[in-house]
Amino acid sequence: MRRIKRHDRSDILIHWFNAACWLALLVTGVGLVANPQLNPAGDAYPGAVRSLFGGGPALLAVHIGLGIVWMAGIVLYVAVNFRGAVFFLKEIFSVSPARDVMWMVKKMALMTVGAKPLVKAGLTPDLPDQGYYNMGQKAFAQASVLGGVVIVATGVVMSLSDMVIPASMVWMVGWSVTLHYLAVGLVFAGLLVHVYMAAISRDERPGFVSMFTGHVPEDYARHHHKLWLDGLTGDSGGHK
Amino acid sequence: MPNKQLAMVIDSSRCIDCKACMAACITANAVPVGCNRNWVKDAEPDLAKGAFRGHFQPGGCMHCDNPTCVAACPTGATFKSPEDGAVVIDRGLCIGCGNCIPACPYGARFRNPAIRKADKCDYCAARREQGLSPACVDTCPTKARVFGDLSDPDSEAARLLAENKGRLVRLVAAATDTKPNMYYLGVTEPRNWPVEPAPPTAMAAMTGLVDPLVKTAVALSGLGVLAMLGRQLFTKPTPPHDGHGHAPGDQTPGSGDADRPDNRS
Repeated sequence: MRRIKRHDRSDILIHWFNAACWLALLVTGVGLVANPQLNPAGDAYPGAVRSLFGGGPALLAVHIGLGIVWMAGIVLYVAVNFRGAVFFLKEIFSVSPARDVMWMVKKMALMTVGAKPLVKAGLTPDLPDQGYYNMGQKAFAQASVLGGVVIVATGVVMSLSDMVIPASMVWMVGWSVTLHYLAVGLVFAGLLVHVYMAAISRDERPGFVSMFTGHVPEDYARHHHKLWLDGLTGDSGGHK
Repeated sequence: MPNKQLAMVIDSSRCIDCKACMAACITANAVPVGCNRNWVKDAEPDLAKGAFRGHFQPGGCMHCDNPTCVAACPTGATFKSPEDGAVVIDRGLCIGCGNCIPACPYGARFRNPAIRKADKCDYCAARREQGLSPACVDTCPTKARVFGDLSDPDSEAARLLAENKGRLVRLVAAATDTKPNMYYLGVTEPRNWPVEPAPPTAMAAMTGLVDPLVKTAVALSGLGVLAMLGRQLFTKPTPPHDGHGHAPGDQTPGSGDADRPDNRS
């Protein structure tokens, strides 16, 4: 069976770079939240991570350093593969409400409770055709991009709070803490599903492998991303 | 409970409003111009009630046992020291969000304009490391301020508390008892100036709305993943699309990789 190129080397690299940065920033960032009203990973976690890094100030410095590396990596990717970045953004924000919402509803049902409830509700279990990304991938990518913008903007404000933020603008720092926490939390909620779908779900295994090899089998592409494949082969007006 | 409990016991009737304590604090702690870590408040004489003398009341951070400033700090940069019970700020961890400042009922915190971070009395930590008393205590000419460890019954502060049981005053806001570790002996005025702690809306939103929202979203997501995992483990697989057995060099249909822009992610 033929294999179809799906990801560039720079795409694969930025994906895993982003994943590594997210993991490191999450581990260090959650350790920087230390308040009994919050403590998302438990009361003992902040103290344990801080000990590991040589104290709270050192952990904060590492977290900020990682954030700078993360931002620099993404900027470098955009510089190296600008067309790829534009393609990615265009694809994830191109939503066809009727087709994509129905796909989302049906896919969520099929993945959790199965086809029977769909049939009972008068729906067929067939999924509407999807393009380069399915709606689940689009939703998570949208959350990652928008969340990433919020995370970076608020992170920059917090990092610069003791350098350039005047007294009259301190409210920005307070709100940055809150919005940083919100954005990370919501993207993390989506990340759990993303990791499951990509690395554990058997249906998506070829997609996971393609994030290393760059290629997917043709029948996988036809089944999961028909509009994209059709666009490539000129069969119909799919995503190109 | 901390190993020690540092506290200040104040006989405000001895205060003569010389403000030497304030000057000494500024000097000892390099407090920027326009800022103060401590204060002397005054009550006007009430001639109608026959009170011909005013009253001066020295104060500063009360190093509370129920510190509302600590509750307002998202990073734990301000905390109650497990060693001596003082409420301290780790400047290296403070991100300058300012949440703690309005959360103090006593106005004991301020944003230090030199470091752009929260600042307040730390009982002169640097002086204490050298075995000295806080500067305000050392310099007071009438010894209105007494500082010590309440867990040490031989300390002057503990002795004063023991001797004055029943006539101790702790200044608290009307609806919030922060359990301050600053005790006034006998009558002191003014008494109704502490305000209710008012953490900024950003912190209230974080603890009251954002945190439950985030934890609910993560929990629902986790449940969804468990449901999917359960279905995967206990149902038969659908036909695979794994392309096993195909040559790695296989190309894109149609005109091959050239059909697809190299930039697709």
